[in-house]
Amino acid sequence: MAEPLFSVRGVKAGYGETLVLHGVDLDVDTGELIALIGANGAGKSTLLGTLSGLVPPAAGSVRLAGRELAGARPEAIVAAGLAHVPQGRRLFGGLTVERNLLLGAYLRRDAEVRADVERVVGYFPALRDKLGRDAATLSGGEQQMVAIARGLMARPKVLMIDEPSLGLAPNLVDRVIDVCAEINRAGTAILLVEQDVLVALDFARRGYVLETGRIVLTGMAAELRNDDRVRKAYLGV
Amino acid sequence: MSLLAQQLVLAILLGGVYVAVAIGFSLVWGILNIINLSHGAFIVVGAYITWTLFGRLGLDPFLSLPIDAAALFALGYLLQRGLINRVIRAPVFFTLLLTFGVNLAIVNLLLAVFTSDFRSVTPPYAGSGIVLGPVVIPSIRLAAFAIALLLAALLSLLMRRTRIGAAIQAVASDRDAAQLVGIDLRHTYALTYGIGAACAGVAGGLLSTVQAISPTAGEPYTLQAFVVVVLGGLGSVTATVVGGLLFGLIEVFGQSAPGLGAGYANAIAFAVLVIVLIVRPQGLLGR
Repeated sequence: MAEPLFSVRGVKAGYGETLVLHGVDLDVDTGELIALIGANGAGKSTLLGTLSGLVPPAAGSVRLAGRELAGARPEAIVAAGLAHVPQGRRLFGGLTVERNLLLGAYLRRDAEVRADVERVVGYFPALRDKLGRDAATLSGGEQQMVAIARGLMARPKVLMIDEPSLGLAPNLVDRVIDVCAEINRAGTAILLVEQDVLVALDFARRGYVLETGRIVLTGMAAELRNDDRVRKAYLGV
Repeated sequence: MSLLAQQLVLAILLGGVYVAVAIGFSLVWGILNIINLSHGAFIVVGAYITWTLFGRLGLDPFLSLPIDAAALFALGYLLQRGLINRVIRAPVFFTLLLTFGVNLAIVNLLLAVFTSDFRSVTPPYAGSGIVLGPVVIPSIRLAAFAIALLLAALLSLLMRRTRIGAAIQAVASDRDAAQLVGIDLRHTYALTYGIGAACAGVAGGLLSTVQAISPTAGEPYTLQAFVVVVLGGLGSVTATVVGGLLFGLIEVFGQSAPGLGAGYANAIAFAVLVIVLIVRPQGLLGR
């Protein structure tokens, strides 16, 4: 079998002496939308932070398109094609929406960056007349849109999105996840961390369940949705 | 009346010098959260470069400003990358201590090289001035004022219009998010510190034309920069410009107040500092 686009093997990481991840295996193939679910404190955000180079891995391998990225610096990882939309939007307050988007393309030197601002705004028409506004003054939903759009500006092969629906009104949750699916259909593989498990599994092809730093369950999204353990633990039924 | 007008002109021109003195200090404090106690020493290094080039090669002091900027940028970049970056995430006390140590090292190096004699740069046009009725505008101070404001405008442009400026602000706004878009944190920190030092270098070159310099002349500049930034507020070039100009006015008119004199310069500076910290701790234009 050919190597998947993005493969994570035996990744261990943590803060100081305390390990949070105890050997995580995970694959994302070209064009896939993968859901990563798990309770608060399971290590989802630590995993994304490790994959994007913010948290140094203690062990394991992270490969993207045949390149080893474990232990690389964050800027090298972005350059290799792995972008991370962090939890809580983390926009650059004090800078305009447009400059936030342009910063998403910080490492790109091609001539299409300007055109790409138009392209990513195409996913979020609500942002079109807010490009000149200070990003910090936007509503939560708009900020989330900017965060995802900023991630897309890097033209990643794999886009990791951490809890995009956190703190959003229900109608906005659907809208944001819809756009994630749309981005995915346009060819970007997505690793989606989502607290709204039902929504995540509706849109994803496959899913992984992370518990106390280990993948305890994986399978097609439809199977996971009907799995008793998932239903009990995350869907409350 | 004419005395008042003359004082007003001198105060505004002095304010320009304070803008130059404070602008790099403000950048480093606002972006890196470092209160750079070696800032005054950087200014003095810039002044000595101008003095040396003027004395040895006869280079006009204003033409040596780009050289001051380049040399101090290199010094600042390397110093940050090699030394200060090691304590960048430590509490502010550590950077205070470290930059104080850097200050001592630079001052003593300057003492060894240049001795403690006072030096001054006196180009042929040093005494000339523009006479406007009862008021005389000294040419050199006017030029220094214009260059200080130009420096502020350039820095503002750099921050608002360029990729480097965006990266610097992104790092100040959210360090992790900045890394996630691919900004090299260590390089950007060093760049910011280097730009701050370059501004100090230009300020030093300007000061050498209006004041006598000596290796130990730097500490008042650090104090002045601190007061200007506290007065104007942290976080924008405009705030530093306002703070600098206002401090120039306060100092000139404070010293000419009945019963006070030039000996009260530091007392006035500290009094301004204390009053601002009590009345409006975020500064006039601070967020």
